[in-house]
Order: sequence, then structure tokens, then C-alpha cells
Amino acid sequence: MDLLNYLGIGFSVALQPVNLFYCFVGVFIGTLIGVLPGIGPVGAMSLLLPTTFKSTPEAAIIMLAGIYYGAMYGGSTTSILVNIPGEAASVVTCLDGYQMARQGRAGPALGIAAFGSFIAGTLSILGLMLLAPPLSRIAIQFGPPEYFTLMVLGLTILIYLAHGSMPKALIMAGLGIVLGLIGLDSINARPRFTFERMELIDGVGLVPIVMGLFGISEVLLNLEQVIRRDIFETKIKGLFPSVKDWRESLGAMTRGSLLGFFLGILPGGGAVISSFISYAIEKRVSKHPEKFGKGAIEGVAGPEAANNAATGGAFIPLLTLGIPPNVVMAMLLGAFMIHGVQPGPLMMKQNPGLFWGVIVSMYIGNFMLLVLNLPLIGMWVQLLKVPYKILFPLILLFCLIGVYSVSNAVFDIYIMILFGIVGYLMKKFDYEGAPLVLAFVLGPLMENNLRKSLIMSQGDFSIFFTRPLAAASLIVALFLLVSPFIPWMRKKREEIPKEEIT
Amino acid sequence: MKKKDILSSLFWMAVGFEVCYGGYDLELGTLHDPGSGFMFFWVGVIMIGLSLAVLVKAIRMKPDQKGVGLLRGEVRWTKILSVLAALVLYAYVFTYLGFILSTVLLLLFLFKAVEPQRWSWAVMGAVISTLTAYGVFQLWLGSQLPRGFLG
Repeated sequence: MDLLNYLGIGFSVALQPVNLFYCFVGVFIGTLIGVLPGIGPVGAMSLLLPTTFKSTPEAAIIMLAGIYYGAMYGGSTTSILVNIPGEAASVVTCLDGYQMARQGRAGPALGIAAFGSFIAGTLSILGLMLLAPPLSRIAIQFGPPEYFTLMVLGLTILIYLAHGSMPKALIMAGLGIVLGLIGLDSINARPRFTFERMELIDGVGLVPIVMGLFGISEVLLNLEQVIRRDIFETKIKGLFPSVKDWRESLGAMTRGSLLGFFLGILPGGGAVISSFISYAIEKRVSKHPEKFGKGAIEGVAGPEAANNAATGGAFIPLLTLGIPPNVVMAMLLGAFMIHGVQPGPLMMKQNPGLFWGVIVSMYIGNFMLLVLNLPLIGMWVQLLKVPYKILFPLILLFCLIGVYSVSNAVFDIYIMILFGIVGYLMKKFDYEGAPLVLAFVLGPLMENNLRKSLIMSQGDFSIFFTRPLAAASLIVALFLLVSPFIPWMRKKREEIPKEEIT
Repeated sequence: MKKKDILSSLFWMAVGFEVCYGGYDLELGTLHDPGSGFMFFWVGVIMIGLSLAVLVKAIRMKPDQKGVGLLRGEVRWTKILSVLAALVLYAYVFTYLGFILSTVLLLLFLFKAVEPQRWSWAVMGAVISTLTAYGVFQLWLGSQLPRGFLG
């Protein structure tokens, strides 16, 4: 009964015209940036964050969330038609989606990707609705030691799942924590690492760092070479998959949805990892594994369902614990805080309208996406033809205005350019940006909870080992950290990320 | 890869030392009451340890193949450097020239110099993009973009 009441509150918020408008804008822009390679959901969210300052927190979060799951939808279009994934989570869709397009089945491939995304998105929202309330009730009992160790665990899983070298990912996390702690000490208001610059008293902003690392650096990388995009010239017809297509895809969608949702809850690249694992599972359970890579529709339906379901799952740790499991959720946490809302176990009680409004809006947004993606596919294809030489100045322009609008400070533009260079060099030297950003957001929270825990225990570190959840989190984190030294674990980790993508 | 890892690990080691020193300077406090520099110091220590791990692994690697340099290859350096220079210059003159003038000039440069296009297209593209952005951010969303010496 409670759930129905809350859903009622959610619908009353999400169906307000202004929130419907923001939801539409969010999913529209999400699809757009999902289609366009060169800017991802994190960049787009930071770009549009300043535009939400005048709106209510509900409208802001509804729009930003829409960008995230909208991008997952849009990413599949480029994978299928151009063999270039718009998003990392759609990389695996290239394998069979593009082959289907080459065989003249671009329509059913796009159709099953959209329907699969819709079904999985809807299922994951149902899961979120059912799991979030009990988890919030449990999370109320957590103290600083639990929060600190959960954040350590979250960061460790992200690092474990990061591409390439673990020590390098850990160095990035360390840098992120240091950057996050710049500014006044939250306990004694002492300036730290501010180099006597007034602009750094409030710390370094999340938006300039994210825009630099994910926006500017991406433009610089793309400018390095001449980008050629071969758009598959074919008439897209028959977007509705046939009965046979449905029969072949339903199992894949269901498995992908479940897998994506539960992997999405875990920190790390939930959407990316789940799409890869879903592909591997589908290939294994299929009666015709030889068809995979040559245009098997299950190879599109499963991963697309998984990456969309993961977006719903990723909201759980943020909304119930206030801990973002990935970079996108870290951006959302930033947005919540700018609007004066603290996500966490109390949010459901203190802000039921916001909590349930966002959840219900995701359901409505999924429906909007279905409407946007199927009839408007022709328009998205046209957009793909916009040459990069026209696109990149516009991306830079939006980065510049976006960063300046947050605090009206030119200093932030310099910070963004600096992190653009840092991000570019990081890619050249094989360092990843995601651990840096997540650690940047978690750093101050981790420090706060660590200091509170030590004050609580009067300097006794055993507080982290005598409380069951804290101890369990630390043991798992420790296990993951030492895993590169265990041969079979190292082999397992190496198998996780990169697959045969050309 | 070997050279890259050696260079980058040395760089992060230096950063780690700086963070450690900064943390120590800020006071570590005690375990009962950790000070402002506590977290910095220990994160710095961890960064130094990790950089050392990367360095040792890099030293043990086979030497890089000839021709695989740090930043060599078919990279269009002039384009990257000119974009960066344009962005820095833009930030420098932004408040003085104002949003509209500085943005039109920046876009004109990007459209014309970095990836050459016809003059008519470049001018039209720069002006229309700037005015659209101004309309959306300044007039609709109420951002306070600088007017510059003309305003």
C-alpha cells in the first residue's frame, strides 16, 4: 500500500508539465549525444548542469537522469549503422548490429535495440522501486565506519574493473582524492592546497574537471587524425521485428535485464561490463553460437537490454546510500548537492516527491525514448552525417559556456583547459579518468567519515573490523586489491574488459 | 610503453612526494583526532608506493620497438596546439572583449584555421552559433555572460 501511495506521489510530480518538459529535453539530448560520437553522457550532463540552476531540484535531476538513460538508447544507433559505438556501453552492439545492417536488416536491429532497451529500462525501474525502500531502511542504521568502508569498496571495485593496470588506476584514484580535498577543511576551516588563490578556497569544481577530462581531451584526441565515418547507405525499413526475431530475442532480453540491473548496482562500469557479459552469456547459451558476430539478433537484444537495465540499478546506491557507483552517478550526486539535496537513506522520507518523482519520470522517459527512437531514426542518421570539423567547434563552445555559467569564473575555464591536457596525456599514457572523477567526489565524504570513525573509536582502527558490514567491505576490497598477485584472479580480471573490438 | 610508464611513474612519484609534504605541513594530528593533513599525507604515501610499483614493472619490461616513441606517430600536433592556444587566449580576453566578440573570433578561428572551410560558411557558422548560444544561455536561461568593453 505504501508503495502505491509513493507511486502516486511520484506520478503527481513526474506528470507536472514542467517536469515532463525537462524529461523530454533530457532523453532527447541523451539520444543526441548517444548518437554523436565525441561526447558522452558525463560531458553532456556537466554541460547542461548550469541550465538547471533556475529549475526545481526535481526538474534538474529528471533531466540529467534522462540524459544518462537516453544516451544508452542513442548509442546503439551508431553501433548498428556506422559500426562506431556512440557510447562505451554500445561497443558490443557493433559486433552483430552492424552485420545485421550489412545484411539489409538494419530496421529489425534498430527496432529490437529500442524495444529491448525499453523493456529492460522498465524492468530495472520496477526493481529499483522494490529494492530501494528496504535498502534505505537498512542504510539508516549505518554509521561513519560503514560509510567509509563502503566507499573504499566502491572505489576498489571501480579500480578492479578499470581497463589496464591496477596500480595506475589506483594512482588516479589517489589524485582524485587529493583534488577533491582541495579547499577549506570541513572540520576546522583551514585552507588546504589552495596555493593562496581565492578561487580555490571552495575547492576545484566538478564540472571543469569532468568537462576537461571527458570533453576537451576527447576533442583533442579526435583532432589528431582525420575521422572518416562510413555511414551504411541503406534504406531502413521494417523497424518492427518479426515474430521469429521476437522469439529469438525475448530470452536474451530477460537475461540481459536481470544481469544488467544487478551489475548496475555494483560500482564500476555497470552498463559497459554488463553488455559484454550479456553478449558472452548469449553466445554460450545459444544453439547456434557460430551465428554470433555474423548478425545474430540475440547479440543485439541481450547487450542492449543489459546496458539499459544497468542504468536503473546504478541509481540504487546513490539514492539509498548517497554513494555514487560510477562517474555518471557522481555527476548526479553533484547536481543533487548543488540543489541542496543530500541523497541517502533519509531522502525517501525527507523528499518523497523528488525520490519517487525521479523514479516515475524514468518510466515516462523510457516511453518517450521508444517514441523518439523508432520514428525519428531517419533524423538521427542524418545527424551522423554532420562532419566533425563542424561538430568540434560547437562541442568546445558548449564546454566553454557550460563551465563559465556554473560559477561565472574565468578561472574555471583555465582549470577545464588544464584538465583537457591532463586527460589527453592520460589517454596517451594509458591512465583512466573514471577512478579520478569518482574518487574526486568520494574523497571529501571518505575523509569526513574516516575522521568521524576515528574520533568515535578514540583512534582505534579496530572499529573497521569489529562492525560486520565494515569488516566485510574491507575484506572484499582487500581481496580485490591483492588479486593481481593471485595468478587465476589476474587472468580473470584480464578477461573482463577488452574484447575483440575492431 | 616502457618509456611512457617510466616517465609517468616518475611524474606521479613527484606528485606523491609533494602531496605527502603538503599533508605533513598541514599537520597530521593524532589518531584520536586526525588533522587537516592526515588524509593528504597517507594518500601521498600510497601514491608514491604505487608509482614505485609501476616504475619497477616498467624497468623490467622489454625495450620499446624502434619508432614507437612517446608522442610520435601520425599525430597532427599543430592542430592540437593551435586549439589549445586558442582556448587559452579566449579565456584571457573573455571578460575584456565580452562573450559575443570573443566567441565569434574563436569560432571563426576554429572553423577556418583548424579545419579549413569556405569563408562564407565560417563567418556565417561563427555568428549564428554565437548568437544562438547567447540567446539560449543569456536570454533564456539567465546566465551572466560578460558584455566586455562594448557593453
